[in-house]
Amino acid sequence: MTYFSYFKAEFLVLLRRKQDVINALLFFITVIVLFPLGVSPSPIFLAPAAGGIIWCALVLAILMAIESMFKEDYNDGSLEQLVVSGLSLPLLVLLKILVLWSVIVIPLLLMLPLLSAMLYLPEGSFWVLVATLLVGSPSLFLIGAIGSALTVSLKQGAMLMLLVILPFYLPVVVFATGAIKAAQEGLPYSGLLAMLLAISLLSLVLSPVMTAISVKASVN
Amino acid sequence: MQSIVSLTISDLWIERGDRDLCKGLFFELKSGQVMRVLGENGAGKSSLLKVIAGVIAPLEGQIQYAGQDVTHDRKILQQDAIYIGHSAGIKSVLTVEENLRRYYPSASADELEAVLDNLSILDLADTPAKKLSAGQTRRVALARLWLSKKNVWLLDEPFAALDIKGIALLESHIEQHVLAGGLVMLTTHQDLHSIQSYDLVLSP
Repeated sequence: MTYFSYFKAEFLVLLRRKQDVINALLFFITVIVLFPLGVSPSPIFLAPAAGGIIWCALVLAILMAIESMFKEDYNDGSLEQLVVSGLSLPLLVLLKILVLWSVIVIPLLLMLPLLSAMLYLPEGSFWVLVATLLVGSPSLFLIGAIGSALTVSLKQGAMLMLLVILPFYLPVVVFATGAIKAAQEGLPYSGLLAMLLAISLLSLVLSPVMTAISVKASVN
Repeated sequence: MQSIVSLTISDLWIERGDRDLCKGLFFELKSGQVMRVLGENGAGKSSLLKVIAGVIAPLEGQIQYAGQDVTHDRKILQQDAIYIGHSAGIKSVLTVEENLRRYYPSASADELEAVLDNLSILDLADTPAKKLSAGQTRRVALARLWLSKKNVWLLDEPFAALDIKGIALLESHIEQHVLAGGLVMLTTHQDLHSIQSYDLVLSP
């Protein structure tokens, strides 16, 4: 196995298993659509809440996608094969996260103009929302991968994973929605974006190593 | 392929779930040798292979390969070894060919075709692995043995689910491999017909 052949195969697997990705995307849309229907369709409520609604839906969708990230690899023995492949496990894990991130976040970004228009997100803050998504979402995937790898060998691991990683998601959500709100009120928001980027970079350094350790512990 | 390699296990202690599977295990396996690991169900045959492959860490003991201590960093051994476990690491949504390409991207089309033909799964090359029977899946996993150029083979129940023809095919391939200087460790309950093997019996 080489890094490239692994990357290619991971991509193929996700493309063949479209249903998982589509489920996460549909879930994202459903949550967003429910807010105007369930709370209030008026711009007075939706415009200030839009950023928060989109980010909450994003976190839920990512949680859904990431929970089963290692499940199949664990069941069919691929995870074992990664451990004994002689390649760097953190790097392999990082490639897997990269594939999942691109498959989920790129379609989300494409749907974003429509959804944010539906929520009356002010035009000026649309690009801030895109920026928070781009710099913030990698950290959600990277942190989530640790929890997913930790609980992959458990039968009812979903709840436990949620408890483990949700506290680490909160700062990301707070900074991201903070940045969007600041942009809407005309305040400087670059500091908040920088914080998001910092969290993503920190998790980029820590997560592959921690996930690799968790994978090793799980296949044990 | 190196000419002479040896795998030395000394004082190995494996524990799983508070139970000692083996303690003070010592053996040496050299190029050209086959070791058959025997024992009752649950005696720790698979665990022993997993420890050597580097999936599980041993409690104590040393593993040496080609004169180097690989107990803590198994990379040298892993780069020269192939481990096929119970669940063989075959992705069910990928086709047979894609599965093998995942492990051996540089194998030429002719080589791949010859191996698949040899294992009589050539006509399944474009079939998704989930549509295969247990025996066919096992053949796909074992096809890696034909494609790899690695010295050490660690095979956990390689004969499981294979038919008589498949068993004979695998046995003769193992024979060729050890004649060429490879070394093989396998767990099985089956008698090997054509291969001279050392037996290691684990008892609980």
